[in-house]
Amino acid sequence: MDRKIRLAGSLAAAAALIEGALYLAQARIVRPAGTPTGLMAASLAQEGGYLPDPNRKYPERVLWGDEHVHTGWSVDAGLAGATLTPEDAVRFARGEMVKSNTGQDARLQRPLDWIAVTDHSDAMGTVGELTGGNPEMMADPTVKRWHDMMGQGVAQATAATLELVRAQATRRMPKVLMDEKWVASAWQKTVDIMEKYNEPGKFTAFISYEWTSNAFTGENLHRNVIFRGNADTTRSLTPLTTWATGDPAALWAWLANYEKTTGGKVLAIPHNGNLSNGRMFEERQYDGKPLTKEWVEARARWEPLYELYQFKGLGEAHPALSPTDEFAGGELWDTGNLAGITKQQGMLKTEYWREALKSGMRLQRKLGTNPFKYGAAAGTDTHTGLSASEENNFWGKLRSSEPSPDRWEHLFQKEQSYVRKDWTLAAAGQMGVWATANTREAIWDAMKRRETYATTGPRITLRFFGGYNFGAADANADRIVSTGYAKGVPMGGDLKAARTGQVPTFLIAAMKDPMGANLDRVQIIKGWVDNAGKTHEAIFNILWSDPATRKLVGGKLPAVGDTVDLATATYKNSIGATELVGSFKDPTFDPGQRAFYYVRVLEIPTPRWTAYDAVKYRVKMGPEVPMKHQERAASSPIWYNPA
Amino acid sequence: MLRDPLLHFLLIGLALFLLYGLVSPGEADSRRIVITQSQVDDMVRQYQSTWTHSPTPAEIRGLIDTYIHDEIVYREGLSMGLDKDDAVIKRRIRQKYELIAEEEDHSAPTDADLDAFLKAHPEEFLRPATVSFDQVYFDATTTSPEAVGTVRVALQKGANPATFGQPSMLPRHVTDGEIDLVGREFGDNFGKRVAIAPVDVWVGPLMSGIGVHLVRVSSRAPPVLPPLDQIRAAVEREWESDRRSRSSLDDYRRARTGYEIIIRAKMP
Repeated sequence: MDRKIRLAGSLAAAAALIEGALYLAQARIVRPAGTPTGLMAASLAQEGGYLPDPNRKYPERVLWGDEHVHTGWSVDAGLAGATLTPEDAVRFARGEMVKSNTGQDARLQRPLDWIAVTDHSDAMGTVGELTGGNPEMMADPTVKRWHDMMGQGVAQATAATLELVRAQATRRMPKVLMDEKWVASAWQKTVDIMEKYNEPGKFTAFISYEWTSNAFTGENLHRNVIFRGNADTTRSLTPLTTWATGDPAALWAWLANYEKTTGGKVLAIPHNGNLSNGRMFEERQYDGKPLTKEWVEARARWEPLYELYQFKGLGEAHPALSPTDEFAGGELWDTGNLAGITKQQGMLKTEYWREALKSGMRLQRKLGTNPFKYGAAAGTDTHTGLSASEENNFWGKLRSSEPSPDRWEHLFQKEQSYVRKDWTLAAAGQMGVWATANTREAIWDAMKRRETYATTGPRITLRFFGGYNFGAADANADRIVSTGYAKGVPMGGDLKAARTGQVPTFLIAAMKDPMGANLDRVQIIKGWVDNAGKTHEAIFNILWSDPATRKLVGGKLPAVGDTVDLATATYKNSIGATELVGSFKDPTFDPGQRAFYYVRVLEIPTPRWTAYDAVKYRVKMGPEVPMKHQERAASSPIWYNPA
Repeated sequence: MLRDPLLHFLLIGLALFLLYGLVSPGEADSRRIVITQSQVDDMVRQYQSTWTHSPTPAEIRGLIDTYIHDEIVYREGLSMGLDKDDAVIKRRIRQKYELIAEEEDHSAPTDADLDAFLKAHPEEFLRPATVSFDQVYFDATTTSPEAVGTVRVALQKGANPATFGQPSMLPRHVTDGEIDLVGREFGDNFGKRVAIAPVDVWVGPLMSGIGVHLVRVSSRAPPVLPPLDQIRAAVEREWESDRRSRSSLDDYRRARTGYEIIIRAKMP
């Protein structure tokens, strides 16, 4: 054993030497001659900042997950040929090897910390057939007899139960009853699987489902329903379907009823307003009636987060609504609704997150509550059971978009006015949560207080605090966490009205994905309502790489550059920054105006999944297919509330 | 002519057909929908489990109306043959079939089963190796290798690590970090290096996904295979998962032997 350790030690030393040598060589090439090495002067003054502080009460490590995963138990996924189960989905998320729906070995490069499997409640598994199956059940004479016995007093009921137990033991159970048992328990089975794989402190498997309202003609009003609790408060319920109504207010009533009767807690995450043809953030009720106080309160109460990034397009912002945002284009699905019915230009206004954040504050002036006070969530919306948003390990949206040489040109949907192919899928959707522990309770609580951010896939670390007592010196990577929590509020929080002369300061720290691309820039995006009730937005570039050579011109920043080599689907981290840390004091702050601020971080350009496919399968794709992009992260906002 | 056996056959067939039409209740039944109390009770139960309160009389009438609507349209659809060659229906039935197949064997694993499974798959149940270390971080693009070397010498002579390096969001100290978590936070290669670095000595520079580090490992624990009673739930879960996937496949193989399969098409 001793010898082994010594051997390991010398191997490590050798490895360190080799790496050191590489570093020396690399550093000499990268560094322009004569650059001063100001290291010691700067570093000697640094405070220790040893982490972790044993008394800390704040979240220390960001927990990565996916709040939107479908398996073969979702009826549409099943129709499309998905056979993976919720169990497969969880195992895959935990980092295990899984056979994909097309029989390929699938594995994540890095496991997730948590997952919410959200199969559609409408016809989940075969739940729909439970009610339809009842006459069938009664057609079986044995079952009919048992059923009648159940209604004839305790003795008869017991006798029937015994018969039933015997039948099961001897495998003479009427098939129809086994059927019923399964169908009734599709949800219960899901709950049981999540219970089995949920390991507090290690991996969180939420109990969850998707409520899938398509209004009348494919307007996407979908919501992911995520429970805080365990089987005891969820197993016996039946998820709400949309058979009776697609009105989101019915879901809110169901959620309220759930909390009241079980003492459990639950929230809902809407998504894909981009496919709602104007209905996701429309300023009227489902049936067309004007908004009421109760309606805005219910929406705010049950929906703390909105899903910004996923396979079916990015929903953060749209260039038609944010013409000054040079990064609002790309990965947009803005040609129709879920059923492919053509989108009219006017519909965009009530489909995107940033616009809703602005409108919500305007509505708050009138109705007293902001119905669109949405933090940032992200997921994949995979319908394969495989939550894979890595560009070089993209497993597609449906079974038909699992890896294959020609998947890029597969038809996704023929819309009224656009032929949508699979190359338009975005390999997007990772959600970072600042939770104090990897448990259902802690992650759910962080979602509820909106201490979350969305990325298109990369694991960028992002901290964001706002407060009135920060100084420029607080923008220090070693101290930002303890200072941020001690003197301000984190992402998702609220700033109280400023006292005379006070201006809020924001602290931001972003670190590149340790296994990904460098960072281009950090932006603060502000939205506000003026005194006339009109909404506005502004984008501030506040931190960026190579500040010595990249200077702001009229608020705009020169592009970071591009190291992507499409011939090999690779890029180099020879441009960009590894960490960007700084502060922002709003030069346009008006203490009387309602406002929100969120952070967006952009990576340097990297190959898109289509570029990896083109190299891997040696295929040439059409000129319409994007091959690179700048991946990003967007934080939940911090809201400023005037007196 | 009347002796033609084929004609006899046809006439008998016709007679049977007419007779069937007279006595068969099928037509009448397919045009009759009977709602029994037990069906209504089931609708109410279903409603209650969704809403956790009872439906009002108006809602019960609504449930019954919906049921009748479904049933009529369902039967009309069946008579049009809409259930034939429908991929959703096939897939549903396959799903139900497979779940029944999986559920057939309900026996709980014995200790011996679990022990054997644990012995056969120890790697699935290892508690990961952990490491505790201090690290001093330098930005590779603004720090000279010489400077890092100087700091290493100072640290090896006992200088306080808190006074060196550059601020970073990475933790300066990690206590009992699982190696793969260290890899996820600092980058894979860094995790591997720290896993084998000598103890109580400042080494480096080590490259991470973020920059350059000097590292001192203070302690390390190898992966441990816990005894069965500490990980029973996990072993049971894996054992069941293994059995389930095997039984579903076995069932399919068994069923398949009863079929003759003829492919009259070009196989790619």
